[in-house]
Amino acid sequence: MWSYAFRRVLMTIPTLLLVITVCYLMLHATPGGPFDSERKISAAVMANLQAKYHLDLPLWQQYLYYLKSLLQGDLGASFRYADWSVNDLVANALPISALIGGTALLLSVVIGIVLGTIAALRQNSLVDYFVMLIGNLGSAFPSFVIGPVLILVFAIWLAWLPAGGWNDYKIHYMVLPIALLTFINVSTIGRVMRGSLIEVMNSNFIRTAKAKGLPMRTIVMRHALKPALMPVISVVGPIAISTITGAVVTESVFSLPGLGKLIINGASNRDYTLVLGLVVLVTVVAVLINLLVDLCYALLDPKIRY
Amino acid sequence: MFSRSKQSDLAGAIEANINAAAIEGRSPWRDARERFFRNKAAVVSLVILTIIAFACIFGPMVLPYSYEDTDWNAMSLPPGMEGAHYFGTDELGRDLLVRCLIGGRISLMVGLLATIASVTIGIVWGATAGFMGGKVDTIMMRIVDMMYAVPYLLIAILMVTLLGREFYLVVLTITVFSWMDMARVVRGQTLSIKSKEFVEAAHAIGVSTPNIIFRHIVPNLLGIVVIYTTVTVPGVILTESVLSFLGLGVQEPMTSWGVLIEDGTGVMETTPWILLFPAAMLSITLYCANYIGDGLRDALDPKDR
Amino acid sequence: MKKNMSFSVLAASVVLAMGANAAFAAKVPAGVQLAAKQELTRNNGSEPESLDPALAESVGANNIARDLFEALTAADNDGRIVPGLAESWKQTDPTTWVFTLRKNAKWSDGVQVTADDVVYGIRRFLDPKTASPYASTYGAFLLNGVEAAEGKKALTDIGIKAINKLTVEVKTPYPVAFLPEVMSNNQLGPAPRHAIEKHGKDWTKPGKLVGNGAFVLKDWAVNSKIVIEKNPQYWDAKAVVLSKVTYLPIEDGFADVKLYQSGENDWVYQLPPGTYEKYKAELPKDVRNSPMLGLRYYSLNAKDPVMKDKRVRQALSMVIDRDILAAKITADGQLPAYSVVVKGTAGADATTYDWAKWPMAQRVAEAKKLLAAAGLQAGSKIKFTYNTSEYHKKMAIFAASEWKTKLGLNTELENMEFKVLLKKRHDGEYQIARNGWVADYNDATTFLTLVQCGSDQNDNGNCNPKAEELIKQGNQAKDAAKRKQLLTQATKMIMDDYPIIPLLSYTTPRLVKPYVGGYTGKNSLDRYRNKDLYIIKH
Repeated sequence: MWSYAFRRVLMTIPTLLLVITVCYLMLHATPGGPFDSERKISAAVMANLQAKYHLDLPLWQQYLYYLKSLLQGDLGASFRYADWSVNDLVANALPISALIGGTALLLSVVIGIVLGTIAALRQNSLVDYFVMLIGNLGSAFPSFVIGPVLILVFAIWLAWLPAGGWNDYKIHYMVLPIALLTFINVSTIGRVMRGSLIEVMNSNFIRTAKAKGLPMRTIVMRHALKPALMPVISVVGPIAISTITGAVVTESVFSLPGLGKLIINGASNRDYTLVLGLVVLVTVVAVLINLLVDLCYALLDPKIRY
Repeated sequence: MFSRSKQSDLAGAIEANINAAAIEGRSPWRDARERFFRNKAAVVSLVILTIIAFACIFGPMVLPYSYEDTDWNAMSLPPGMEGAHYFGTDELGRDLLVRCLIGGRISLMVGLLATIASVTIGIVWGATAGFMGGKVDTIMMRIVDMMYAVPYLLIAILMVTLLGREFYLVVLTITVFSWMDMARVVRGQTLSIKSKEFVEAAHAIGVSTPNIIFRHIVPNLLGIVVIYTTVTVPGVILTESVLSFLGLGVQEPMTSWGVLIEDGTGVMETTPWILLFPAAMLSITLYCANYIGDGLRDALDPKDR
Repeated sequence: MKKNMSFSVLAASVVLAMGANAAFAAKVPAGVQLAAKQELTRNNGSEPESLDPALAESVGANNIARDLFEALTAADNDGRIVPGLAESWKQTDPTTWVFTLRKNAKWSDGVQVTADDVVYGIRRFLDPKTASPYASTYGAFLLNGVEAAEGKKALTDIGIKAINKLTVEVKTPYPVAFLPEVMSNNQLGPAPRHAIEKHGKDWTKPGKLVGNGAFVLKDWAVNSKIVIEKNPQYWDAKAVVLSKVTYLPIEDGFADVKLYQSGENDWVYQLPPGTYEKYKAELPKDVRNSPMLGLRYYSLNAKDPVMKDKRVRQALSMVIDRDILAAKITADGQLPAYSVVVKGTAGADATTYDWAKWPMAQRVAEAKKLLAAAGLQAGSKIKFTYNTSEYHKKMAIFAASEWKTKLGLNTELENMEFKVLLKKRHDGEYQIARNGWVADYNDATTFLTLVQCGSDQNDNGNCNPKAEELIKQGNQAKDAAKRKQLLTQATKMIMDDYPIIPLLSYTTPRLVKPYVGGYTGKNSLDRYRNKDLYIIKH
């Protein structure tokens, strides 16, 4: 299994190369350049700017130039934030997104699994309806609605927590964003857990176990939970990627200086280097998280071999 | 039905597949349908969803207002019987009820088509990768990893620039964004199922790979597919509003639930109904989709036969 | 000063400047009790692209640059041009100005600010290697400025010269009566050569940035906040009341207001659409809304087969009821506009149309006649392009509705992402497009660039050579009244071609805590420097 993991990590390199190439071409094909703004810049000044950022070179030369600096660990200078390098920007934003996203992920996995399990074991009971209600609210009211509601309730009416912003990792600035992300993710994880466990509980081997008269607790913990967790783990993968690498809406609602903010600003400013830098980061995170997920499969189901 | 006295997994599974084959002659769909209609929650949901769909299709033809008619003297009216604005009006004096219904047409259509498309791709992709394993799995799954990293903003802008604003492009773009999760879920389950004895048995007796995938693996995935589909639907419907922000998707004065919800959020403190009505319609639809999903899962479960 | 009376505007502005100088220290009105804690948090609307004054382009970046640096002149919070780094200036001939620097002006590291720093700053700003986006806008006011920015002339040919340690001479390509106004922009101010050469491109980082403004950079957390503190080395430090200012970069209007309500922000950058009336009722003391030199307008593409007919353009403009638009649709105090030059701009009067005062029925009847004459049938399709935003969307639906109900034209609304719109507009690939402009300086020429022949900012593709000639004459005129008359005449001529549909002139609907003193509402470029602000005891 370890050699499999090692090979998978190595696969990051060709994956990265491909994704950089695709995004590179996409960026340059997207209409509007990094220096287009409401005030049109004169042709001569535009030429100066392009020269400054090597945009005057043929595309393939720029591409090689970028790859070369990438090999040296340099993601280049941001086109939009002229005073910062992409490395600076990512280094500032990554810990914030990772901390908030990671905490929310952990919470939502635990809460989601517990709620989903309870709902599944008491299918069509009040608990079940309650969990389904929460789950559906989390989907029907997207984060751009729930976030403002949380701010209204907890920051304005009750005045318990700040309405947003970031203050050097002070905890009370993180509570609402983490709560929002957790809420949204619990709704997904909880529902998948519920459905998956109901499915497993209806399967033959559980019926057999029931018939044998094993106590419910034992049946669930020993036999049902592991197979029921398989799809949950599959779902957690994509959720982890998107929460850790920047929850765009949450960051915008709570004015957080995380990666989500950078990716949106980067793409809308056509900040080529910033976008590519973030693409590199997300690819690495995606490959690693999906590797973790695959390793978890093997833990849950010993028959799975790679 | 054969007796279910055999206890081993292997026997149960093989039996289920034999059953499936045996029942085929006696219309398995009728059985499934019967099971489905025995599920009250699912049937009620289906009825409600049908009513919503019919209201969306025919309501705008019956109502006195058109979705695009502005009225500068009736801006942001609260809901009421007065002037027949039952849901009130939006910030430009347009009747909210008719806009919710018109928006429902788009959202239901997008929800249905994009969900079907992304679920289908997800199943085929995930089951193939999971079952084939090895290099095929590696390549197919790294493509999935890549898709998570490509900024959707760029894809959407490029789509609208290169291809225009056709409705099918909306469905296509949403599908491009949303098939990967299903592919990963399906692959995970496939990995688990393929190591089960009945699949190995089928392999041993020389059943072809596509046959194994679609005859033996996919039916066993349906439960989880249905569950995850109900999670996919709201995402798909709301993604449409992001696309319309980028110029792909519906254009004013046409609208969708996602767009209505987004517009309503900005004014939720002053005129909350502009948010609440479309959000309520969306959430009722999602509830119904959930219960129908539950019902379908039970009805289609091969183990239950 | 008397000897300069031949250039009347000038003299007036110099006298004004001198007067303001005398009244400087007493900007906190008598009887106002100051708070013990002089700290202000103001939202700046976006993350600045740079703190380098030469590279600052956005309104937000320029706001911060104005606190960290001081150009030769400055605009106070009443919008008056007052002495900055230069304590006085005079126009020695129509195209030559001499600025005298203060002896006691220092960089924040204690080094004296000299004429050489100003020359270095301006040359650096126009250097093609710096690639400042403003190079051609402000460079146009200096002799050989644009040519140097384009690399066609040497930097040493630019009309800026150090006469001695404390005197700089500025030469303009034509008589620029409002040069002191232009010179208040930090792009044309001094730059700390010693610090820039020491730290290289990192020179704008906290701990490294050396400025000559009233404040120094303390902390910069990207997308989170920028903290500046009072600069003890500043020549007028005793008049600076605030000890610390935190700039927030919040773009989301809802988040901005909520931070304000929860007390974490003293200054909402701009109220989100649809909320002005609500807050005016709830927080009447906090809502501040004053006119600003900016224009919301629609560009009509003169190269489009339908829009190239002036009668069509006129009809489209005539039927839009700006009064309803301002009062009911945007409903945030913005003012109806009928001219490319916004009311209150120096250098030309805002023109208007005769039909603006007609009853709407008459306007519609006339517009229908024009359309009929142009052969555009009712039921014809026109296409309106805009970038997605709540505000633009509402206005677009309104305009489409006016054209539909009054002229029977069916408007296809086409929304897109901002940069895509910019590209389409610059490339002339549109029929009618949303547009907007905020003045760079208080003079009509900043607005006229939107409709002048071959101007970079002219997206409409119109050109009126006669008006062009008048503008040229106006700019050569030495008499301010004469210039104003010529520019106004040119504006009228251009507007009668209907190249654009002017709709609304900007205001700044925002919330500012009642205890923030010095927010006058009179700075029509919305450039409130923290030097003039203070916190009232509350």
